[in-house]
Amino acid sequence: MAPDQFVYISDSALQELQEYILFPLRFTLKTPGPKRERLVQSVVQCITSILSTTCVKKQDLLQELFSELCLCLSSPSGLQSPAPLSEELKLTVIQALQVLMHSAYGDIILTLYQPSTLPHLGFAVSLLLALAEQEKAKQIKLSALKCLQVLILQCDCQEHHRLLDMAETRHYGNLFASFLPGISTALSRVITGDIKQGHMVTVSAIRLFYQTVCLAMADEQLATITQDEEKPSVEQSRVSELVVHRGSDWVKSTADKLSLLIHKIVEFASLHPHWKVRMELVELVHHLMLKCSQSLVESVGHLLKALVGLVNDESNEVQIKCHEILRSIAELRTVAENRALADILSENLHSLATALPRLMNSQDDQGKFSTLSLLLGSLKLLGPKVNIVLNSAAHLQRLSKALMQVLELDVADVKIVKERHWGPENSLGEPLGSLQHGKSQKKYFRFFSDERIFLLIQQVCRVLGYYGNLYLLVDHFMGLYNESVVYRKQAAMVLNELITGAAGLEVDVLHERETAVSTEDLKGTITSILEEYTDQANWYLTTSTETEGTSDELTVKHSRVRAIPRGAHSSYLISSSSPSSDPSPTIRSMNSNIWQICIQLEGVGCFAYVLGKEFRLLLASVLYPVLEKAGDSSLLISQTATGTMVDVCHACGYDSVQNLINANSDYLVNGISLNLRRVAHQPHASRVLEAMLRHSDASLLPLVEDVIQDALSALDQFYDDRASSFLGVLSTLVAALAQWFIVGKGKEHPQEQNLEQQSSTSSQKQGEGSVITPMVQEVEQFFLDYIKQSQIAEGNLPAMEEEEEEVQAPPPEPEMNDSSAEGETPLPAHAQIAKDVMRCIHLLSDKSAAICFPMAHRTWPALVTRLINDDPLAVLRAFKVLCTLAEKCGDFLKRRFSKDVLPKLAGSLVAQAPVSARAGPMYSHTLAFKLQLAVLQGLGLLCEKLDLGESDLNKVADACLIYLTFPSNLMCVDPDATWLFLNEICCPLPPVKLEGSTSPVEIVYESTNVKRLKTTDLI
Amino acid sequence: MALPPPDPQFVLRGTSAEVHTLHFYCRGQEPDYPILFSGSSNGLIHVWNLKTRRVDTILDGHGGKSVYWVEAINGRDRLLSQGRNQQICLWDLAEGRNTVTDSVFTENVGFCKSSLLKVAQGHWLMAMPGKDLDEVQVLELPSKTSVCTLKPEADAKPGMPMCLKLWQPDFGSCPFLLAGYEDGSVILWNLSGGKILSRLACHQEPVMSLDFDSEKTKGVSGSSEEVLTVWSLDEQQNLKVQKTHKLVNAGIADVAIRQDKKILATAGWDHRIRIFGWKKLKPLAILDYHTATVHCVSFSDHSRPSERLLAAGSKDHRISIWSIYNQASGALHCPLETRKPD
Repeated sequence: MAPDQFVYISDSALQELQEYILFPLRFTLKTPGPKRERLVQSVVQCITSILSTTCVKKQDLLQELFSELCLCLSSPSGLQSPAPLSEELKLTVIQALQVLMHSAYGDIILTLYQPSTLPHLGFAVSLLLALAEQEKAKQIKLSALKCLQVLILQCDCQEHHRLLDMAETRHYGNLFASFLPGISTALSRVITGDIKQGHMVTVSAIRLFYQTVCLAMADEQLATITQDEEKPSVEQSRVSELVVHRGSDWVKSTADKLSLLIHKIVEFASLHPHWKVRMELVELVHHLMLKCSQSLVESVGHLLKALVGLVNDESNEVQIKCHEILRSIAELRTVAENRALADILSENLHSLATALPRLMNSQDDQGKFSTLSLLLGSLKLLGPKVNIVLNSAAHLQRLSKALMQVLELDVADVKIVKERHWGPENSLGEPLGSLQHGKSQKKYFRFFSDERIFLLIQQVCRVLGYYGNLYLLVDHFMGLYNESVVYRKQAAMVLNELITGAAGLEVDVLHERETAVSTEDLKGTITSILEEYTDQANWYLTTSTETEGTSDELTVKHSRVRAIPRGAHSSYLISSSSPSSDPSPTIRSMNSNIWQICIQLEGVGCFAYVLGKEFRLLLASVLYPVLEKAGDSSLLISQTATGTMVDVCHACGYDSVQNLINANSDYLVNGISLNLRRVAHQPHASRVLEAMLRHSDASLLPLVEDVIQDALSALDQFYDDRASSFLGVLSTLVAALAQWFIVGKGKEHPQEQNLEQQSSTSSQKQGEGSVITPMVQEVEQFFLDYIKQSQIAEGNLPAMEEEEEEVQAPPPEPEMNDSSAEGETPLPAHAQIAKDVMRCIHLLSDKSAAICFPMAHRTWPALVTRLINDDPLAVLRAFKVLCTLAEKCGDFLKRRFSKDVLPKLAGSLVAQAPVSARAGPMYSHTLAFKLQLAVLQGLGLLCEKLDLGESDLNKVADACLIYLTFPSNLMCVDPDATWLFLNEICCPLPPVKLEGSTSPVEIVYESTNVKRLKTTDLI
Repeated sequence: MALPPPDPQFVLRGTSAEVHTLHFYCRGQEPDYPILFSGSSNGLIHVWNLKTRRVDTILDGHGGKSVYWVEAINGRDRLLSQGRNQQICLWDLAEGRNTVTDSVFTENVGFCKSSLLKVAQGHWLMAMPGKDLDEVQVLELPSKTSVCTLKPEADAKPGMPMCLKLWQPDFGSCPFLLAGYEDGSVILWNLSGGKILSRLACHQEPVMSLDFDSEKTKGVSGSSEEVLTVWSLDEQQNLKVQKTHKLVNAGIADVAIRQDKKILATAGWDHRIRIFGWKKLKPLAILDYHTATVHCVSFSDHSRPSERLLAAGSKDHRISIWSIYNQASGALHCPLETRKPD
């Protein structure tokens, strides 16, 4: 008889015939003597098959079948250990048992659970446990566990199971209490067994474990059991011994034993590599916390530890589940309102804080991660009760010291110090879209490298800020900040996060706090923190070996701060021993300083984020320092500061950094003007001024007037060191003025156009603007280049410089005369030019070109000396200035030009022509070539603008003709360009000449030349 | 070691004109913010919000003529301002209004700042230069009725009044007027009789400014010369010179004694603000920030002493705000006096 043959019999018929069909099968099993395994297996399969489609309606049949199947598994020798049967047979029998349990009809199944059947049940339980524990095959293990689950009436299959009522549950609880020790120990062994058994086994074992415990140790049931309750009446005395009375003593001793097991399981499972195991552990905690938190009070610590440790599990599912469960636990208020639990937690927290520094030293990243997860979880669970811990000075001290240690940065990297940021350009002008909020610099910590660990610590701090007493915490960490440079960076990091947490931003908590910190309080706290951050001693730190400000100056300033105390900080004495006054900074200390500044900058960003628009009020004191750092030469600092600007911008509701700067330029001007007064801070101030000028509009002018004067006087005083930075500012200023001026002119002064041209159209207005802009750029370029050039060629120029000074230096500048007497560096002269030109443009912006003339007049002699100088570079630059002047002043310069400059220029062109004709390709890299090029390029324009007379034009033409008559190297090197130059020379001239009635031959001659050039050289 | 002087706490910019007078109103409680009124040579009065450090309101009521005296009367919502257009205006600033509700024609073309004294709830006395050149007129406000006209006898010839200070020994007692004159003398007037009680010739040049400490009954005056004079008033109502301090650079445009009578500030033509201990006229600090003549100095009336500020207005269009010597522990230092290079 094969099991599949039953398929042909209808279910109802089979039900009718059930006992008859089963009888021979049972008989086969019951016949004494050894049987072939194959036979037993077939028989059991048949039974399974029948039972799966029918139900067992008789109590006897159920019990007998149950015993008979169990017997198949047992070895004849010993009752406890399963027989050495084939794996297939074992599996078949286990499955048969399962099917049997499912086929029991209605309440019949319950008859299995009588005190009288306890021995049978016990036998089955121990057999199944032994299988689950000792078998190698995963399938058998799983089936055994599944079967056990069915046996304790906790089957989670789809079929309908009878729900037990209160009294019944209690009854089964009593019954299973007898098996609890056995089941729990065996299962704990299974759970903590070899990891190779597969996660499914561990998962089922954990599930079975908590189901059993929940059944026997449920608080709900235990509460109804009284001490004097009668023992269940049983017939047999031996059986009655098996039944357990779940009195308080029993509960206590069982809980003790279970606590050990739970501890073991938790330890093992929470580090299990498979997430489903950890998930099941979470379930275990959930069920036990829910149902047995009183009976298992001793294990609650372990359970919570497991739970909070898994809150930040790497598996998302586990995290979500954990959060869910933590929240439900928190909602139940089992923790917050359970004094004992709070004590357990705060005790845990304390011991954790104590061990934290040691653990951070010894553990690997994974270990650190779980330790910190635990810390975070405990804090979260404690919630507002965290203040109990914080109010104890010892606890707070431990906790904060641990954080200080964990957050210690690795400051050995030389790269941080080495990466410099040069040049005036920074990314402040970039559109906001490319920069995002909250992107802080990646930090490198001494004790860990995993980014997740930092995120955890961040959350720890935020949760502290969220629940903790903010004043207490800020005060404490501010104390650490001031206590030693060793803690300063960490303390600042913690403070930043505390504030973020206190504002309830980006903090993940389990329950709401009762009272949120008010905006006013936050603002007050933030203001005082910012005061510390931007204090001289903490803001101006040595970050490079190139002295931007000598330490002497800074030291003096420290003492000055002490002289006029504003906030009565007792910390100055300590802070003055910070590395800023260290005469020889090491790489480490500079790296550390860079990080400190960055962290403080990030803090500013955080605080802005926290306060939102309220932060606008603090901009008066904060904007300048931040902008100053945006131009810092250290790349890291400037990047961070730029990020901070963006954060501030977002927070305060400005749509671009430019707007932010523009709207708050009055605050910036204040900072600039005050810092210009200090020698050491001048470079910063000038950088901020530059940035501000670049981002502002004409409305700024009344505000900056006096600052420009300050800058100029500072320049006069410190031209040796600071000239280049100030000239940068001045050129930016000139550019800015020109830009504002164009707008102003177009709008406000239409009559102005009469000066230029009668028939002015709007397009010409545009033209005007574009004339000025390149001019300004050129002037700007001129100065910048000029500084470079004069630094290179310092030796060659002094004589001429002095001449210039004599012409240019106005009387009320005594220093100028001093320096010329001493024959010092040539820079003051350039400063003067810069000033003059600047004033010149100032005047231009006063809408009268005529005022420009006297300026031109004043610069002329200096320019001429330049132009007829031998140094080609000087001539080149001077020529460019001449061109710009010519554009502006027109024929005002005509006479001077033709008298002073033209002969010399023409002469040199003629003289140079044969040289260039003969020269090789290298010639194009020489200054002489560039000069030739520039002169040829500019002469045409000059002729036009200056409206030169006939004889002068002839001179120009003669000089140029040489270049046209033979294909020179100029053309070989860059035919296109040269052709353009030629065109420029030719084309502007003909109309002028036609008017001046010059011989037409010349024009023809020139144009043929040009044509010839085109044909010969270009094709 | 003499320490370098401090920097201003901040600087207010944007008046676009010389700043001639300053007046704080900082007594208000939150959410009222502290205010500074400034009057400048372009006839505008700026109302500065000291919390944002920005101009709140600009009052234009003197026809573009220089404003050289402003003072809040009856809280922050009423303001008196005196301008070169010979008008003293009363402004209503409540609830965002900024209108002139009343005005007095002074008939005087000098630069003499008026002086205000609260004599009773809702009643003030205001001393202002009168119609005749050497005359001072005292009005009762808000009724604008003339209380008395103080005119020196014909032979006294002190010249024009240059500065005025009304005071009374105790609240409710008879008020006095101290006036500095063109000839360098300070005269104590009794308002009830309109008589000169005492006259002290303490300067060679016109008295530019004076301030008086009614508790210690001593005052200080500065003139266009390089001397600062402290004089006292004895029981017989006689003024006598107590101490003089010689300055390096001549010209004191304004003097102000702080409310707590601990320090004295002077506005110098040499661009500097000087701070003295009021008790012994000990020089404490020279505040060097401005790039042109300092026209006026004023101390704030913050209720908390630690918040008190000093403001100085200058010809260079800037108003510098200083936070100095407002801590009990503030060490007092005396930097060396130096002569201005030019």
